[in-house]
Amino acid sequence: MARTAFQIQRDVIYALLLREMASRFGKTRVGFFWVLLEPVAHLVFPIFMFSYIRHRIVPGIDYPVFLAYGFLPFLMFKAICLQTMDGTRTNRGLLAYRQILLMDVFVAKMLAHCVIQAIVFLVVLTGLAMLGFDVLPPFPLEFGAALVLAIALAFGLGMLFAALTSVAPDARAIIRILFMPLYFASGILFPITRFSNEIVDWLALNPVLHLVELTRLYAVEGYEPMRQLNVMYPLSLALVSLFGGLALYRLRFLSRVTM
Amino acid sequence: MIRLENLTKSYLTLRGRKYVFRNLSLEIPGGANIGLIGRNGAGKSTLMRLLSKVDLPDSGDIITTASLSWPVGLSGGMQSTLTGRDNVKFVCRIHGVRGPLMRKKIEYVQRFAQLGQYFDEPISTYSSGMRARLAFGTSMAFHFDYYLIDEVMAVGDATFKARSRKAFKKRLKKSKVIIVSHSMRLIRRMCDVVVVLENGNATVYDSAEKGIAAYLESGKRYNAQLAKAHRAAKRKQAALAAVGAS
Repeated sequence: MARTAFQIQRDVIYALLLREMASRFGKTRVGFFWVLLEPVAHLVFPIFMFSYIRHRIVPGIDYPVFLAYGFLPFLMFKAICLQTMDGTRTNRGLLAYRQILLMDVFVAKMLAHCVIQAIVFLVVLTGLAMLGFDVLPPFPLEFGAALVLAIALAFGLGMLFAALTSVAPDARAIIRILFMPLYFASGILFPITRFSNEIVDWLALNPVLHLVELTRLYAVEGYEPMRQLNVMYPLSLALVSLFGGLALYRLRFLSRVTM
Repeated sequence: MIRLENLTKSYLTLRGRKYVFRNLSLEIPGGANIGLIGRNGAGKSTLMRLLSKVDLPDSGDIITTASLSWPVGLSGGMQSTLTGRDNVKFVCRIHGVRGPLMRKKIEYVQRFAQLGQYFDEPISTYSSGMRARLAFGTSMAFHFDYYLIDEVMAVGDATFKARSRKAFKKRLKKSKVIIVSHSMRLIRRMCDVVVVLENGNATVYDSAEKGIAAYLESGKRYNAQLAKAHRAAKRKQAALAAVGAS
C-alpha cells in the first residue's frame, strides 16, 4: 500500500493537472472556446490588416503562417511564465495536504499549460491548413526542440518571478504589463529584420525574440531569421533561470515566504 | 511515537525575525491521544502546521513512522470552482486512491456530508456549514494513524454534530488524535498525553490532568507577573507625577 516517493509525486502531479484542466474548462461549454478565442482574435486582426491592406509583408511566405509561428510560441511562453508565477498565489491552500509541495504545483501548472497551448497550436494550424496554407514545419524535430527551449525558459523565469512576487506582491502587475512591450519587441507582427541592423543588435538582447526567430526558422519554409540569432543565448538563459529558480526553491525561500 | 529533533522555526516579521521554537527536542509516546495546550502565541498552531507539513522548519526534523492526516475539517485546499465530488476525487487521487476504492470513498463522503444535489454543484455555491461538512466528511473517509485537529471540531447543525461524533468515535478505535484546543474539557475527554507549550519550550505530561494542572499553574504565574509589572509601572508613574508636582 505504501507508495514510493516517485509514485506519490506522480499521483499528485496527475491530480493537480486534472484539477487545473477541470477548473479552467469547467463544467460550462464556453470554457474551451474562451481559451481559443484569445489567440484566434489575436491572429485574425493582424492577418486582415497586413495581408489585405498591404500585400506580401514577408517575401515568399504566407503571412498567416508567419504570424502563427511567431505568435503561438510567444503565447505559450507568456502563459507558462505567468501561470507558474501565479502558482504560489492561487494554490496556497493546497499545501495543507502533506504530499503536495510547491514544486508539484509549479510542474502541474507548467504541464497543464503545455497541453492547453499544444491544443491551441493544433487547432490554429489545422484551421490554417483547411484554408489552404502550407503549415507543416520543414524541420519538425528542431521545431519541437525550439518549443521545449521556450518552455524551459518560461518555467525558469516563472519560478524566479514567483519568488520575486512572494516578497514584493506588487511586482506581479508590473511583470504582467511588461509582456506588452515584449510582444512588440519580439518580432511577431512583422520580420524584425525590417529594422536597421544596429537596432536589431539591441533588440537581440531579448531572449524571446531569439525563441520566436528560432521557431520560425524551423517551422516556416524559406524564412530568413535575423543575423544575430544565437541558440546559445536563450539556452544559457534558460539554464541559468532554471538553476536560479530551483536554487531559491531549495533554500526553501518560496515555501517559507508564501506561507 | 513522534520525535522532534532540534526543531527551529522562525517567521520574518516587519520588526525582524521572531523565533517560535529554537532547537526544540521532544519525544511524544506513541499510541496515545495527544493534546497541545498553551497560551495564545505559544506556538501550538505553528507546531500543528509543522506536524502537518503545511510549513517547513528552518532546521531540524520531525521523525515518525505513523501517518498523519491533513488538518481535519480543512476546506482551504478545496477549489471553489469545482464541485464537491471533484474535490473529493482530487483528495482521493493525491492519496493514490483510484477505481472502485475511489467510488467507495466518494459514496462515503456523499452519505456523510448529506449535501444532496449540492454535491455536484461548485463549492462556491455552498454555505460555510456545507463546506465544513464536506471537508469533515472527506477527512473521515481516509484512514490515518493520527488525525490533526485544530481547535473547533463541532461544525454544522445538531444532527450533523451527532453524526460526526459517531464517525469520529469509530475512527478512534484504530487511530489517535493530536488536538490543539483551549477547551480543557475537550482535552480532558480526549487526550492521554498533553504537551504544554510555553515560551518556545514544550513539556510532555503523561496524563491530561497533570498537563492541565501545570498549564493552569503557569497561567497563574503569568498573570501574577503581569499584575506585578502593572503595579510597578503604576508606582513609577506616581513617583514621576510626584516629582513633577514639587
